[in-house]
Amino acid sequence: MSTVTATIRHRVLPPRLTGQEIVLAGVLVVLWAALAVSTPAFLTAGSIQPLLVATAPIALAGVGMTIVIITGGIDVSVGGAIMVCSVLTAKALVGAEVSLPVAVLLSVAVGGALGLVNGVLIAYGRVHAIIITFGTANLFMFLGLRIFGSGTVNGIPGTLAFFGRGAGGRTLGVPHAFLITVLITAAAWWYLRHTAGGRHFFAIGGDAQAARLAGVRVQRRVLLTYLITGLLVGLASCFVIAQGTSTLDQSVGSGKELAVIAAVVIGGTSIMGGRGSVLGTLLGALLVQSVASGVTQLGWRSQLSDLFVGVFIIVAVGADLLRTRARRSR
Amino acid sequence: MTAVAAQKEGTGARILRVLLTQRIALLAVLIVAVVVTFFIQDAGGYLTASYDFDYMSASLISAVPLAMLGLAELLVILSGRGGIDLSVGAIVSLAGMVFGFAYGEWGWPLWAAIILTAGFGALCGAVNGFLVSYIGFPALIATLATYYAFKSIAIVINNQEPISTAPIQKLFSISKSVELPLFGQYVPDIPLGIFTFLLPTVVAVWLLLARTAYGRRLYAIGTNDVAARWSGLPVRDTRFKAYVYAGLLAGLVAVVTVGQFASARPDAGVSGNGMALPAITIAVLGGVAITGGIGRVAGVVLATLLIVWLNAGILLAFIGNEGSQYQLLALGAVLVFAALLNGLTNRRYGGTS
Repeated sequence: MSTVTATIRHRVLPPRLTGQEIVLAGVLVVLWAALAVSTPAFLTAGSIQPLLVATAPIALAGVGMTIVIITGGIDVSVGGAIMVCSVLTAKALVGAEVSLPVAVLLSVAVGGALGLVNGVLIAYGRVHAIIITFGTANLFMFLGLRIFGSGTVNGIPGTLAFFGRGAGGRTLGVPHAFLITVLITAAAWWYLRHTAGGRHFFAIGGDAQAARLAGVRVQRRVLLTYLITGLLVGLASCFVIAQGTSTLDQSVGSGKELAVIAAVVIGGTSIMGGRGSVLGTLLGALLVQSVASGVTQLGWRSQLSDLFVGVFIIVAVGADLLRTRARRSR
Repeated sequence: MTAVAAQKEGTGARILRVLLTQRIALLAVLIVAVVVTFFIQDAGGYLTASYDFDYMSASLISAVPLAMLGLAELLVILSGRGGIDLSVGAIVSLAGMVFGFAYGEWGWPLWAAIILTAGFGALCGAVNGFLVSYIGFPALIATLATYYAFKSIAIVINNQEPISTAPIQKLFSISKSVELPLFGQYVPDIPLGIFTFLLPTVVAVWLLLARTAYGRRLYAIGTNDVAARWSGLPVRDTRFKAYVYAGLLAGLVAVVTVGQFASARPDAGVSGNGMALPAITIAVLGGVAITGGIGRVAGVVLATLLIVWLNAGILLAFIGNEGSQYQLLALGAVLVFAALLNGLTNRRYGGTS
């Protein structure tokens, strides 16, 4: 009797840890061990802490992107949005000398507004997300460059050092930016797995029409996913500013949308929608950043890490494809 | 039913319906509107240089890579099942380096170097096609992965250095303008790349899509994958070839780009915004349905002309780098507008052609 209940419960709820996540965690352990053996400096706080700080913005934006992709959408405007949020916040820090909470609120609010634009256009314009966000990516970049004016933003004060790499950005050796990312990931994991609202996202990604007939307010939920992504991108932009030096140049955010999508996909979220986990995304972002860090520490060309990212995507998604095929034929 | 409705509707409603359902008509009207707007601005003296037929003709040089990659995206998106190619820009970079080695350093003759580059592009496309069509990767994922891989190899292969030896620098003549024979003195000079690369490509892709069995198969598998399989079409083979052709076109664009820069740059196709995003934008603007099976060569060509002439005008209307910023605005606004229009048309008339 109890086994029957267990099976049913198993079918309704996805497993706490998917195979992909276990494999990813294993790969991470092996990679870190290999790097530790080849370059002893890798497993020191001085090397791991910057790695975690650098992972945070990608993983944080990845939480939103995971939810978007679970509903069957995609957001390629993240890079442009990061640019707008970070340049506005940086200008506010320089010009108005705003405090830390105000800067974070401003960045998050701007990110939310940009996400709302995407959400409204996609949910109510009934156009495929990739097209709309390609368009808004251009619009956001225009906005960002206009705010930049010409040249860079210089002399950014250390207000955001709380999120940075310095000693002020850590508690008990753990960087705040990474800690916040982990907390938000955990909250999103719980919300997606254990609440009706969270399950609705999966339902929409599985079959939007069926979800609508089952009483899910599809348009509103879809709008929400892009809003969440925008808000998280706003916070991630603060991390990006804190990571850098006191100068912000116009390349900020460039190519970040693809890095975020890569982390999500390596984490085992299906691009077709209906399946995915934020925990995998965090591990995926960590893996990508570990490779980038490892490649530089081994003294190889830093651009070589992109090749590994490509290979990881192929292997991660390919393994998933083969597993699905094996399950179906069984 | 539709016949009755068509008889009842007035002239205004009919024009609206044609504009909304015939993307080519809409693009033609938009092109005329853009050109007339800038001519008026020019006459009023608001532009920093004169926007005339000579300028429009000279600006066509930037249409060559844009339209060719737009056609590459057309083929891939037509093949359906979420077909898209994010890696075309990275292929341009990598194939450009191959061309740089062959023509600039190994001293191959030009024709052999071009064939090698196109073939190499096709090989890169074959990797995409194999992953998407035979293994079953979603196209977005497979081409995202190869985008990273090709981009990385292109940069690492020559230690981040561009190749700009003497033969490569002489190639700049590709982007020169020439006077047409016979009636040349009556019309503006036209960039040579239009005749050597763009026109042959446009004709070839049009023939492929409209006049060969392969073209009909491509539309068939894009419209309905399952139905095509049950009718005995070689679905996998057809889709695979679409990616190979896209890679081939990207390889040719690599040659054009090397000529334009007079140097084989390792980041030619991926620097800044990259080349893939504008190409996809052009395809969508040209009326290619992202779901597959719908799209025409003429739409892509007209969309390219619209964007190129709009961008050329914007460059004259603003000073300094403001112009390139407003080009982003124009591209984004036009794309969102076109996408929303597609949605509206689908709801009102049940489909666009």
